[in-house]
Amino acid sequence: MSDDPTRDPRAESTIVESDMNEQLMSPTVFATAHAFEEPWHDTEATVHRPLPITAVVALAVGGIAAIYVALAVLTTVTAEIRVVMTVAGLGLLYLAYRGIGQRIYGPGFQAGLWLAVAWLTLTLLAAVFADFLPLAEARNPSRTLQEPVLAPPDLFSRHPLGTDRQGLDTLGGIIYGLRVSAIVGIGAVTIGIIIGGTIGTIAGYFRKAVDQVVELLTNSMLAFPPLILLLGIAAVLDRNVRNTTITLSVLSIPIYARLARATAMVISQRDFVLAAKALGAKSRRIIIKDIVPGVIRPVLAYAFVIIAAIVVAEASLSFLGLGIPRPEPTLGNMISAGQGDFDTYPHVVFAPAIALLITVLSLNQIGEYMQSRWNPTESKL
Amino acid sequence: MLRILLKKIWQILPVLALVSLGAFFLLELVPGDPAVAVLGPTAAPEEYARVRERLGLDLPVVERYLDWVGGVITGDLGQSIFPPNRSVTDMMAQRLPVTIQIALMSLGLSLLIAVPIALRTAYRPNDPIDRTATMGAFTAISTPPFLAGLLFVFFLIFNRGIVQIAALVIGLLLAVYLGRANLARVRTIPPSPMRNRAVLTMVAAFLLPIVVGVLIAKFLPTFPRQGYARITEEGVFSNLRSVALPVLTLTLTECAVFVRVLRRDLIETVGQDYILAAKAKGMPAWRIMLRDALRPSLFSIITLISVSIGRLLGGSVIVEIIFNLPGMGRMIIDAINTKDYPVVQASVLMIGVVYVVVSALIDVTYHYLDPRLRRVR
Repeated sequence: MSDDPTRDPRAESTIVESDMNEQLMSPTVFATAHAFEEPWHDTEATVHRPLPITAVVALAVGGIAAIYVALAVLTTVTAEIRVVMTVAGLGLLYLAYRGIGQRIYGPGFQAGLWLAVAWLTLTLLAAVFADFLPLAEARNPSRTLQEPVLAPPDLFSRHPLGTDRQGLDTLGGIIYGLRVSAIVGIGAVTIGIIIGGTIGTIAGYFRKAVDQVVELLTNSMLAFPPLILLLGIAAVLDRNVRNTTITLSVLSIPIYARLARATAMVISQRDFVLAAKALGAKSRRIIIKDIVPGVIRPVLAYAFVIIAAIVVAEASLSFLGLGIPRPEPTLGNMISAGQGDFDTYPHVVFAPAIALLITVLSLNQIGEYMQSRWNPTESKL
Repeated sequence: MLRILLKKIWQILPVLALVSLGAFFLLELVPGDPAVAVLGPTAAPEEYARVRERLGLDLPVVERYLDWVGGVITGDLGQSIFPPNRSVTDMMAQRLPVTIQIALMSLGLSLLIAVPIALRTAYRPNDPIDRTATMGAFTAISTPPFLAGLLFVFFLIFNRGIVQIAALVIGLLLAVYLGRANLARVRTIPPSPMRNRAVLTMVAAFLLPIVVGVLIAKFLPTFPRQGYARITEEGVFSNLRSVALPVLTLTLTECAVFVRVLRRDLIETVGQDYILAAKAKGMPAWRIMLRDALRPSLFSIITLISVSIGRLLGGSVIVEIIFNLPGMGRMIIDAINTKDYPVVQASVLMIGVVYVVVSALIDVTYHYLDPRLRRVR
């Protein structure tokens, strides 16, 4: 790629920047992208001014008011109107939040990225402290015989997001489900980094026979469509958190092996590695001191995107009934269990579905940012 | 060409061998005695013996593997272990067409939608339409397929009214927005034939969203919640209607992936000098994008198609479960739930083999399409 002299450097910068979703609002990108466009588009390229304080306050108050009215006052109105009002209120709050961010951090403030970070932090905290939170019973149906069944969401009650057919609390289920997602996602990626990263680094450094064997193995693992491979393994193993993690690491290992191999291959051709060899350094020292530090960055930059893929895969497996079984809640099996009722009680599907969607969006958002920031492109290596 | 083909076959043979080994050794991963896993702990001893014999567990591993591979090569994929012990080949012959139809239709539809969107967004990156499309694609990629399927069920089957109202409202908002944007543009152009064209565009941009919104609201078809209508039995129309939602579900993600990749490549192409030259000559936008920019930007997409087919084969399992279609995916899930291991093994193997072969074919096509690769042996 880098040896193509006809390549336009302007195009390069546009691509890199346009890949970052969160930067799309930034006026600098806006201006560069339009610099060689038709003249009448220049008017759009003027710099955004941050919202005035009064507007921010008005938006925030309006947003909170809309949400409060929708959730607490209009309890007799149809659900559709309340949902629309809540969403509109959230939109206003978002605008207010972005306004504040842009006032403090300038127009380059990456609103979506920080929301994603906030959501994932919240998720992790909730997952870690799930056992200490004052949640209604969400895991053991024999203890919910007194609870209302299929209660609709009511933010100011014992069941903020309602209950399912067995009277299990939806909010609690989501938090325990997110805990499973976090354990499985982080676990599988860690296994992938340790096993796949090691194999790939060694193969990329030594090349020759080792490399060919590793390549054949990764190719064969990637030869199955991902979900089919997971189904095959899930078919024969017992269904629990440990086995699900191991099954899903089958996805991350070959991906990391390939990534580490490609990076290690490029780094081992650099001059400082040659110098180390000339000085008589042993392979082990070169790999640990010179290769691994270079491999680790792209590997970590890729981690969030892979965690996102694994969270989706885990949810898909539980949705198909091949993940962790009920009544232990996971996002996937909650959605699957709610399918029968969601015509009349949409919250049993929508609550876990929205939690899953926001989590995956956040992971992807951070993942894209880290990749654009940390993952050196081929030309830069 | 033949040389490349032969080389490719030589390359995929060991992969195919490992794929078959992988599918075969699934059975060895079963903890404990597979016969106990199939029948549960309380069956009669002769029952266990019968299942063990059916699974071939009385033979040594190597012999069993060779038998199995030999059978696969001659078209005998084994039998289901449960009565009536149907042959897996027959079961697949019935199920495979459904899955292939869904996968291919999704692939075609994704490309059909993605290419125009990518062309439009890449021509003017970072304008509001591009930002909306990019954001939409990002959200679609982050939506797990089973969720997309359930959303379609909820909105297009259970709550059609919401969709109809939304179509009208969105159409109206879009019309106002586009009308205003075009009006601002018309104002900057001095009176000329160009301005007249811009006025026409403005009127069209205002009317089109309204017309489309009304059409969607008026003629929103009803979709069956589940089931599959075979073309041979119930005709083309009900067949299409029965696969519409599954196909749309799978298209959502695929289409978004294609848009992102193609858009990125197109932006790179559009930055090159010959496009600038074409613009300087005053070529119309559609001609530049379609004739000059599209072809050299297609290569990533072609590579991506093989990955996409893998995702579609996996995704079809999910839509077949949600919409209750009699395809391969449903067969695998049923077999897993009843622990019908031969069926699981054979289906996993077949899908793996199909995927490897299709990827290899696409690779060969790629060599054929890109003259630069043809010269390098």
